[in-house]
Amino acid sequence: MTSKNETGPLNAPTLSKEKASSPLSEAWTKFRANHSAMVGLFVLVLIMLGAIVGPLLYPTDPFELVWRPFSPPGADGFLLGTDYIGRDLVAQMLVGARVSLVVGVAAAIVTILIGVAVGALAGFYRGWVEEILMRITEFFQVLPTLLFSMVIVALFGASLLMITLAIGIVSWPAVARITRAEFLRIRELEYVTASRAAGATPAKLMLKVILPNALPPIIVQAALMTGSAILFEAGLSFLGLTDPNVMSWGQIIGSNREFILQSAYTVTIPGIAIFVAVLAIALVGDGLNDALNPKLRQR
Amino acid sequence: MNDLIEVRDLSVHFEIRAKGIGGARRNLTAVDDVSLTAKRGQTLAIVGESGSGKTTLALAIARLASGKTTGEVRIDGKDVVSLTDGGLDWMRRKVQVIFQDPFSSLNPRQRAEDIVREPLDNLTTKTKAEKAEIVDRFFNAVGLRPEQKRLFPHQFSGGQRQRIGIARALSTQPEVIICDEPVSALDVAVQAQIINLLRRLQDEFGLTYLFISHDLGVVQHMCDSVAVMYMGKIVEHADRLQLFNDPQHPYTRALISAVPAVDPDLRNRGQKLALVGDPPNLLNLPKGCRFASRCPLAEPRCFETEPPLRVRVGGHRVACHLVDLGPEASAEAVSPSAPEFP
Repeated sequence: MTSKNETGPLNAPTLSKEKASSPLSEAWTKFRANHSAMVGLFVLVLIMLGAIVGPLLYPTDPFELVWRPFSPPGADGFLLGTDYIGRDLVAQMLVGARVSLVVGVAAAIVTILIGVAVGALAGFYRGWVEEILMRITEFFQVLPTLLFSMVIVALFGASLLMITLAIGIVSWPAVARITRAEFLRIRELEYVTASRAAGATPAKLMLKVILPNALPPIIVQAALMTGSAILFEAGLSFLGLTDPNVMSWGQIIGSNREFILQSAYTVTIPGIAIFVAVLAIALVGDGLNDALNPKLRQR
Repeated sequence: MNDLIEVRDLSVHFEIRAKGIGGARRNLTAVDDVSLTAKRGQTLAIVGESGSGKTTLALAIARLASGKTTGEVRIDGKDVVSLTDGGLDWMRRKVQVIFQDPFSSLNPRQRAEDIVREPLDNLTTKTKAEKAEIVDRFFNAVGLRPEQKRLFPHQFSGGQRQRIGIARALSTQPEVIICDEPVSALDVAVQAQIINLLRRLQDEFGLTYLFISHDLGVVQHMCDSVAVMYMGKIVEHADRLQLFNDPQHPYTRALISAVPAVDPDLRNRGQKLALVGDPPNLLNLPKGCRFASRCPLAEPRCFETEPPLRVRVGGHRVACHLVDLGPEASAEAVSPSAPEFP
């Protein structure tokens, strides 16, 4: 079954050298060329390293009263000083980074899972499924997010798990709307019809055909969600709605907030940490947006 | 059975609903009581302008139309409109589609070999090795090189991408391939390559093609018989030679006269029939002939009653009041709702 009769222009010499470059590896090339995104990624990796190995290298218990209260940074051998009851701020910051990052990532995952499920079903099936799901989405969207999450935490207890879930439950509507919009766009494309002609089931169409192509804006949203979830957790902790036995950056700010005028550093240091972390995540998210956005890619 | 594809009274309706709860519903009939047949191993072309419903008809035959489909589509004697699950898989193995736009018909996140293998994964129970062997075979058959298997669609040219689409359609070894304007997105030189490839594959695998096109020049080279569609209806259905040498419907004549000819002798043969105006709105159809508003020959009765598809000498079917059916054909005249085939 040889067929070299009408293959003339096919054998372009350059093609044989071409590597199979997947859309994702191309995006990584784009991302690497983006300086601010790489700075963001570098800072983020530093924070993550600090969170992972920091407490091992600096084994002071963040809850232990080690010195007198309000020892300023640098004095008496405490690099960042001590808090209102004399606990070591460096230890608190390192352990707190773990919690803040974990809550941020976990809440973003919860957000994406709910939002993608709702948006995918609405955008794929359309009709009454879409009507019902989008009305529910709008209902959640108009709820005041902070108030609603406070109610959830107050009702079900201030554990880390509950805080994560509460952040996820109030944040998913934006993801659902983005996912639905992408599904509405992609389901009309010819390759989806082609997959149907190739016998793909609805589940396969949604998960294997449409979702991978809808992923870029969802990934960007996930990155930005991580940043806002860290802020959200800090906000809840500041209001005292947190597990007092778990140290997080928001918790440090919250517990020291009454002494903000006497010793500003106790809230400024974790505040700057939150700011830097969220900024780094936002830069990475922005870089992902540029790298994954097909419209920019064609330019 | 001689006729591999038999379509009877096929209609596709779309419900257009104004936004909001209780919005006004309107029914749009994109394909209206279409009946046609295609013989095994032959090519039936369906031609018509944009919006004539030819692609919707093709998708409905392949059970891919999103609208509500009524009527009968028999593939090898088996009605496929009512099929579900297992039966649908049988039909999908037998009927495959080549799509119009090679730039949007391939999933950008799949490698070429995965695209070609997809129908095998979903529709057959072959082993991995068998599937790999089939993919290799059809890569070769459509003129792609095996080392291109791992590439992604954006790394191919338009013609190569269409070859991947053809290999995908061939992979389950179907009997019917619906070609939905397979070359209209390609430039002319590549068009000829793909047309030649399709013809060679037809001989090699004994395929039956349903060839959708708006380009009679391309159709001339491909088909054994032609059905001309206008506003969701078939207005003329005949063998290739009959249709091109002796077109009956004014719309067909206008289409044929619009085909550019290179030969200056051919170019000036017969008068040019230029159509004026736009087709009527499908949501607000005139009560008479749908073509009457643009027809240069229209008479008062054309605006009053819709002409049925009638059989003329030699099985030439045409839906026009003005066509003389010939002496023996008048007895075979049939009503528009249920055209009967001889």
